[in-house]
Amino acid sequence: MRGSFPRVSTQSIVTLLILLVCGGLVLYPMVFLAEEALNVGDPQEFPLQEWGLGNFAALGEDWHILANTGLVACLATVMAVIFGFVVAWILTRARVPGGSRLERLMELPYYMTPLVGALAWAILASPRTGALNQLWHAIGGNGDLFDIYSPFGIAWVMALFEGTVAFVMISAAMKSMDPSLEETSRVLGAGKFRTVMKVTLPLVMPGVLGATIFVFAEMLGSFAAAYVLGIPGRYYVITPDYGRAAAMGISLFAVMLVTLTIYRLIVRRGNYTTITGKAFRPRAMDVGRATWVLLAVCWAYILVAVVLPMLALLLTSFQRFATVIVGQMQFTLVNYENAVRFAAVRSALVNSLVLGFGVATFGVLFMTVLVWIIYRSRAPGHGLIEYVAMFPQAVPRLVFGLALLWAWLNIPIPIYGTLWLLALAYFTVLMPLGVRTLAGVMLQIDKSLEECARVCGASWGYQLRTVTMPLLRPGIVAAWLLLFIASVRELGVSIFLVGPNAQVIAPSIASAWLSSSTELSTALAIIQTSAVFVALAILFRATRRFSGELR
Amino acid sequence: MSEARIEVSNLVVRYGGVIAVDGVSFTVGRGEHVTLLGPSGCGKTTTLRAIAGLEEPSAGAIRIDGRAVYSSAERRNVPSEKRGVSMVFQSYAVWPHMTVFDNVAYGLRVRKLPRTEVAEQVERALGLVQMREFASRPASNLSGGQQQRVALARAVAFSPTVVLFDEPLSNLDAKLRAEMRVELHELQRRLGITSVYVTHDQEEALAISDRVIVMNNGGIEQVGSPETIYNRPKSRFVADFVGSANLIGGRMKSSPNGPGPVLFETAGGVLLQARAAHAPHGDEDRVAIRTAYIDLALAPPNNAPNAAAGNVRQRLFHGDFIQYIVDWPAGQLIVRRPPTELFEEGAAVTISFAAEHCVLLET
Repeated sequence: MRGSFPRVSTQSIVTLLILLVCGGLVLYPMVFLAEEALNVGDPQEFPLQEWGLGNFAALGEDWHILANTGLVACLATVMAVIFGFVVAWILTRARVPGGSRLERLMELPYYMTPLVGALAWAILASPRTGALNQLWHAIGGNGDLFDIYSPFGIAWVMALFEGTVAFVMISAAMKSMDPSLEETSRVLGAGKFRTVMKVTLPLVMPGVLGATIFVFAEMLGSFAAAYVLGIPGRYYVITPDYGRAAAMGISLFAVMLVTLTIYRLIVRRGNYTTITGKAFRPRAMDVGRATWVLLAVCWAYILVAVVLPMLALLLTSFQRFATVIVGQMQFTLVNYENAVRFAAVRSALVNSLVLGFGVATFGVLFMTVLVWIIYRSRAPGHGLIEYVAMFPQAVPRLVFGLALLWAWLNIPIPIYGTLWLLALAYFTVLMPLGVRTLAGVMLQIDKSLEECARVCGASWGYQLRTVTMPLLRPGIVAAWLLLFIASVRELGVSIFLVGPNAQVIAPSIASAWLSSSTELSTALAIIQTSAVFVALAILFRATRRFSGELR
Repeated sequence: MSEARIEVSNLVVRYGGVIAVDGVSFTVGRGEHVTLLGPSGCGKTTTLRAIAGLEEPSAGAIRIDGRAVYSSAERRNVPSEKRGVSMVFQSYAVWPHMTVFDNVAYGLRVRKLPRTEVAEQVERALGLVQMREFASRPASNLSGGQQQRVALARAVAFSPTVVLFDEPLSNLDAKLRAEMRVELHELQRRLGITSVYVTHDQEEALAISDRVIVMNNGGIEQVGSPETIYNRPKSRFVADFVGSANLIGGRMKSSPNGPGPVLFETAGGVLLQARAAHAPHGDEDRVAIRTAYIDLALAPPNNAPNAAAGNVRQRLFHGDFIQYIVDWPAGQLIVRRPPTELFEEGAAVTISFAAEHCVLLET
């Protein structure tokens, strides 16, 4: 027991330590990113010898890459927001059978990840050989029905597997609308349609706008789909030159920061309480015969985003040679055997799980104290910590991976090429996720529950252990599982930080795919998705028990 | 000043640019029950939380039993857990993840008392609030009133000398609140604790305290026994906030030095005999008359002081009393009479009140 220590010292020492750790982990790599972007000399040279704006000037030559990124992000955002809005409206405002279960299913594509989704859709809709195109030919169609390697195809995959955020945010906005606002309109004599147009839509619009901006920022930073689908289609969105990549990363980061700032400004403006307010259970509208149409729309979404992709992956993973022609299929378990037998692949699987457990366990402990300091302490600088902790949110993963690479290459501690670096990197980029999840629960805990412990004579540590942590348990469980899932599926920062002795699963899937071992990559994708879904099933059970909302 | 259990001097609490408590000083004697009364935002809760160590003041000093727990001069701020005070929170703050027993035992276990003594003291504390049979219940399925009792038992279980109450009854419904008020009053006196109680409910403040401190805008308006606060309000604010009173504007007619009534002329030209609790300075412009201290009669006015003719404009039946709005030469008066005294709307009545109930306000 630490009861004998004076509070001021323990708490302020811990606060200072945490501020230093967070600040170091987050900001130190960014310094290197900035330096590299300005470096026009030898890219391996730190501190830099020659510096200038050459890399930024060279962006002009890469303008098509930036244009591609922008085009794909815009297309994907538009699609994601339309899907999200339609499905959110159906599931929150109309009365459809099994609505709450469907809502959970809608979140699955996000956990499947854009990487796995891109893989699956490459099997489903690659030109000529894709299953859907084959089917089209079989029924007598000409040419290709879909080309997944086109910008539209890439955007389609991103919208399906990254766009879940739009659905979650828009349905949150719709759910938190006070139903009496609509009821008033009905009572005053307006019909259903008029109510939707004059009351519901205007009230939900800010939420939709916010979601659009947020999703756009996400899409700008997401590269998995473009990485898997863009290379076969020669549609590059990343560049091999380090200096230029850094300059591009900084530009991307600047655009994302501006977008997220606009988002924050919109959300902060007080009158948009539909987003932040208390959750109401809105009275759903009876839509009569249209129910079945609406239900069909939802299931169609599930079909293209979950069922078809999973079927494609499963089918391919059990084949000796990937094909969609039934007569040529040879079923085998050899891909799964290979996944376990090849040392590199096996170690990638084991490493991912080890990292998942380690990062989630340590992360949750650290982040609980962090969140406590941000939202509860009166220590100077607690607002600054929040800003620093949420910072990685605004940096595209790929860019952050690059920054981490340089940062840790240039530090005398030899952790480059080891799992430790990956662990540190995961911890850093997942901090916003953990902090957001824990903060959601922390803010629901009445402050006086903790104050009471102090007045009863408990020290800070004793209070954290006996009151805060137990009350925070649902949040801690949720945060642990989310961190585990996010670690296991991580691709963006991993791709630069893996080494021969530090392989993890997501980059292995991508490299197996890019080196044309489609069958092995699908087996790995199935294994990764299974691990994530098991964790997710536990999470859903746990959160249902605590009756807490996931987000 | 070793007589004082708690001594607050020139306390200032700032929130950013806002001054929540602005130079407040008072003392609480041993075994005394003092209430901080005021509207929301007056600084009463902030003052209490500063005593508990939950809010860090910007200036001033707080002493408990002569020991400085906060002093801006000595740069000392003793943390909550080292102040030895106890507190009952507005939201009860009963920990939902523990049983009733664990809740009440918390303060004892923190102090590392032996297991048998913990059980004994918890038993005693739960007995005081008639919750003994609930000891093994999880605290999450208790009613509001029961949670209130658990919070109370927990606050007194480790035999603190000072207990702070932060609007402990404000979340209960009216009937339960009245019951708990009686129990709380009894408990405070039986345990011989010193208490500081915060409320915005003037009835509650008058009922349970030895002394009331009326606060407004971060400062103290008046300190006194409940009777003094009610009968001798010093300021418009106190007269208005505590109980219900008629405030009548006008000016002083005479200023006799020494005791005895002063003469006050209302705006409508009515001459009143009033009492001043302070030495009048001559430019006072208001008197206060409690609505309950005004008599109405059907007999025509005689020449007694503080009697005037009036007319019943409106009658509102409240159950325990009837509220009349009466027109009289100085404007309108609100009068509360027991339901036995019935007057029709439009009736001509005689208004009268004693000079000692017509209080000349200092500010």
